[in-house]
Amino acid sequence: MIDPTLLAASTITLGAPLVLAALGGLTSERSGVMNIGLEGAMLGAACATFVVGMQTQNPWLGLAAALAAAILLMLLHAVLTQAFAIDQIISGMAINAIAAGGTSFLGKAMLDETSLLRAPFLPTQTYWCVAALAVATLAFYLRWTRGGVHLLAVGNDPDKSRQMGLDPVKVRYLALVATGLLCGLSGALICSNSGSFRDNMTAGRGFIALAALIIGGWRPLPTLAACLGFGLIEALQLHLQGTQLAGAAVPTEFWTSLPYLVTLVAMAGLLGKNRAPAGLGKP
Amino acid sequence: MEVSLSGVTQRFGAVTALDDVGFRAGRGAIHALVGENGAGKTTLMRVLFGALQPNAGTIELDGKPVHFRNSADAINAGIGMVSQHYSVIPELTCLQNLMLGAEPGWLLSESKAKSRATELAGRMGYSFNWGDSAEGLSPAGKQKLEILKLLWRDAKVMILDEPTAMLSPADSEALYSSLASLAAGGATVIVVTHRLPEVMDHCQTVHVLRGGRNVANSLVAETGSRELAEMIVGHDIDERAVEQSTVGDVLAGVNGVTLKGYRGDDAVEDATFVLRAGEIVGLAGVDGNGQRELFQALLGRQRLSRGSIMFSGEDWTETGPRERIERGLRLIPEDRHLEGVIDEWSLEENAALGLQRLPPFARGLWVDSAGRRDAASRIADRFKTKHGGLRQKMSSLSGGNQQRYVAARALEVAPKLLLAFQPTRGLDIDGTAQVYGAIRQACQQGACALVVSFDLDELLEHCDRVLTIFHGRVQEPPAGLERDRQAIGRMMVGTG
Repeated sequence: MIDPTLLAASTITLGAPLVLAALGGLTSERSGVMNIGLEGAMLGAACATFVVGMQTQNPWLGLAAALAAAILLMLLHAVLTQAFAIDQIISGMAINAIAAGGTSFLGKAMLDETSLLRAPFLPTQTYWCVAALAVATLAFYLRWTRGGVHLLAVGNDPDKSRQMGLDPVKVRYLALVATGLLCGLSGALICSNSGSFRDNMTAGRGFIALAALIIGGWRPLPTLAACLGFGLIEALQLHLQGTQLAGAAVPTEFWTSLPYLVTLVAMAGLLGKNRAPAGLGKP
Repeated sequence: MEVSLSGVTQRFGAVTALDDVGFRAGRGAIHALVGENGAGKTTLMRVLFGALQPNAGTIELDGKPVHFRNSADAINAGIGMVSQHYSVIPELTCLQNLMLGAEPGWLLSESKAKSRATELAGRMGYSFNWGDSAEGLSPAGKQKLEILKLLWRDAKVMILDEPTAMLSPADSEALYSSLASLAAGGATVIVVTHRLPEVMDHCQTVHVLRGGRNVANSLVAETGSRELAEMIVGHDIDERAVEQSTVGDVLAGVNGVTLKGYRGDDAVEDATFVLRAGEIVGLAGVDGNGQRELFQALLGRQRLSRGSIMFSGEDWTETGPRERIERGLRLIPEDRHLEGVIDEWSLEENAALGLQRLPPFARGLWVDSAGRRDAASRIADRFKTKHGGLRQKMSSLSGGNQQRYVAARALEVAPKLLLAFQPTRGLDIDGTAQVYGAIRQACQQGACALVVSFDLDELLEHCDRVLTIFHGRVQEPPAGLERDRQAIGRMMVGTG
C-alpha cells in the first residue's frame, strides 16, 4: 500500500517544477510566441544555479544566476523570432541545442575537479510557495489587468492589436522575460531537488510542461491541475517500480514510461478540443 | 477636427501606391473616398492613421502639422480607424474589446467601465451584453462595437474602410444613420467605399483616387452617379446588354443530391438541376443555405448521402477532385486565402495551384517552369492584375488584384465546368464586368458555369438562368418568372 502523505509530498516535489515551467510557457504562448525552448531555459538555469552557487556558496546568488541564464536564453528566443523573424520552432530548437551543449561543456569544465564541493540551495518549500503564488497572480493578471488583456490580445491577433495602438513586439519581449523568470525558478528547483547538476538533468520536463499547458488549455488554473496530475503519475511511477501487476512482474521500463504514455494519450484526446491562442506562431 | 493631407507619396518596393496625393476633410460631415481596387484608398487612410510612414507628404490636423510614428500616435491625436475586417478580438469580452488599448488604468475596473460603455451604447441606440465573449457577434454587431470603440477613445476623426462590405442592406442603412448622427455631433467621418449608391445617398463630399493619384474632389450634391463612375474607372462605361450564348446539350447533371452538413443534419436536400453547355447559371440565396456544401460536393470533396452527379456522360458520384480537374472542373473559391492561393508563394507558383498536373504546368512528372511562367503572365494580363513581378509573393498584391488573379487562373486552362463562389468579391465595376465577360467567353466555347452569389442583382445581370437555394432546397423559378426579381427574391427567403 502506498502512503498517501508520502505520495502527496512526492507529487508536489515532482509537480512544482512543471508548474513553474508551464506558467512560463503560458506567458510566452499567450503572447503568440511558440516556445519549445522551455527545456533549454530550465537546463541553463539548473546549470547556472549550481555553478554559481558552488563558487560563491551563496544560495541567493545561485538563484540569481539561474534567473539570469533563463532570461537571457528566452530573450535570445525573442530576438530571433521577433527581430529576425526566424521560425519559432526552429528558434526553440536552437535554444535547446545551445543549452544542452553549453551546460554539458560547462559541467565537464568546471565540475570534475571540484566535485566534492556542494552548492547551497534555498529550501524547496520556498519554490512551492512561489509556484502557488505565480498561478494565482497570473490568473488575476490575465483577467483583471490592462497588461493581461494586452497579452491575450497580442497573442490572439498581433495585427489587430497593432491597429488598436498596442505594441506587440514590446508585449512579447516582456512576456518572454516572464517566461525566463519562471523557467529559471523551475530549473533552480530541479537542481536543488537532486542536489547537484548532471548532464541533461531536466530530462524532457520542459516538454511535459508544454503538454500540461496544452491540456490546461493555456489557462493558469487548469494548467496547474494538469501539472499536478503529471506530478502524481510520476510519483506513482516511482512508488510502483518493482511491484507486480495482477500477479505478473512488470518491467521497470513500463513504469518509467508511464508519464510519457499518459502525456501521449492526454494530448491525443484533447488536441483540437482546447483552443490554442489564435495568433500562435504569427510574426 | 479638420484633416488635411498633402503631397503624400508612398512606395512599396518598386510599386508606387500613392503619388503626390492630397486629401481634405472638414468636421461635421461624411466624406467618401472612392476608387477602384488598388487605387490607394486604404493606403492613404493607413497613412493618416499612422500605420504607414509615407515616403513624402504632410499631415495637418486643424492646420497644425503632425507626425505619426505609429497608430498609437494617431489615436492619441484623436484619429480612429475601423478596418474592413474589424479589429475585434474574439477571445476577449465585448467590454475588454471596447477598452483595448485605451484602458483607464492598469487595473481594470469593470463596473465603472460598464456604466460608461452602456452610456455610449445608449447614445447610439445600441445594446450589448458587455461580459459576453465578442466571438459570437454578427458582422453588424462587430461594426457597432467598432463605432463604440471610436467613441470610447473620443476619436474626432473616424475612418471606416469598406464599412458595409459584410453588412446586409438593412444593417448598412442603420450604420449610415449612426454615422450621420456622429457627423451631426461634430465628428469628421471618412468612409472608404466602392459602392456608389452609398456615396450618393449618405455622403457630403467625395474624393476620387485612380492609380494612386488624385482625380477629383467635389461635393456629392454637385456630381452624378454616372459621372462619378466614369471618374473612377477613367473611361466611359458601356451599357452592356446580356449577350446570350447558344445553349447546347446538357453537360452536367445533379440528380437528387442530398448532403450532410457539419452539424449532421441535411445541408442540401434532394437537389436536382442541369447545366447545359454554353450557359451561365446563377445560384441565388442568403448565405448559409447549403451553397457551400453543394459546392464541396461538386468539387468532389464531400460524399453524397444520396443522389448522383453526372458530367458529360460520365458518372462523377465517386470520382475525386483530381479526376474532375482533369476533365475540366475549374474553381473560383469563396475564400481565396483558405482555398485559392498560398500567400507566401509567388504569383508564378500560385498559377499552377490546383492545375499542377496539367500542361502547361507539368510535362510528365516534371514541373514545366517555362510553361508556368508564360501561363502566369497570361493569367496576370487577362484582368490586368497589378503586380510588382511574377516572382513576388501573392501577399504583396491588394485583395482585389488577388481576386482578379484567382479568377483568371480558373479560366486559363480549358475550363469545361466552372464553379464560381462570389467571383467578384472585392472587385469594382470594371473588374466585375471583365470577370463575367471572361466567364461568358469560356461558355461560348462550350463550357458551363455555376455561379453562387448573395447579390441577386449581379446574378440577374450576368446569368442566363437563376436558381434559388433556401434551407438546402434548390428550386427553379416557375415559367414566366425566370427573370422576375420580386419572385426570385421571395423564393430566396422561402416565401415564394
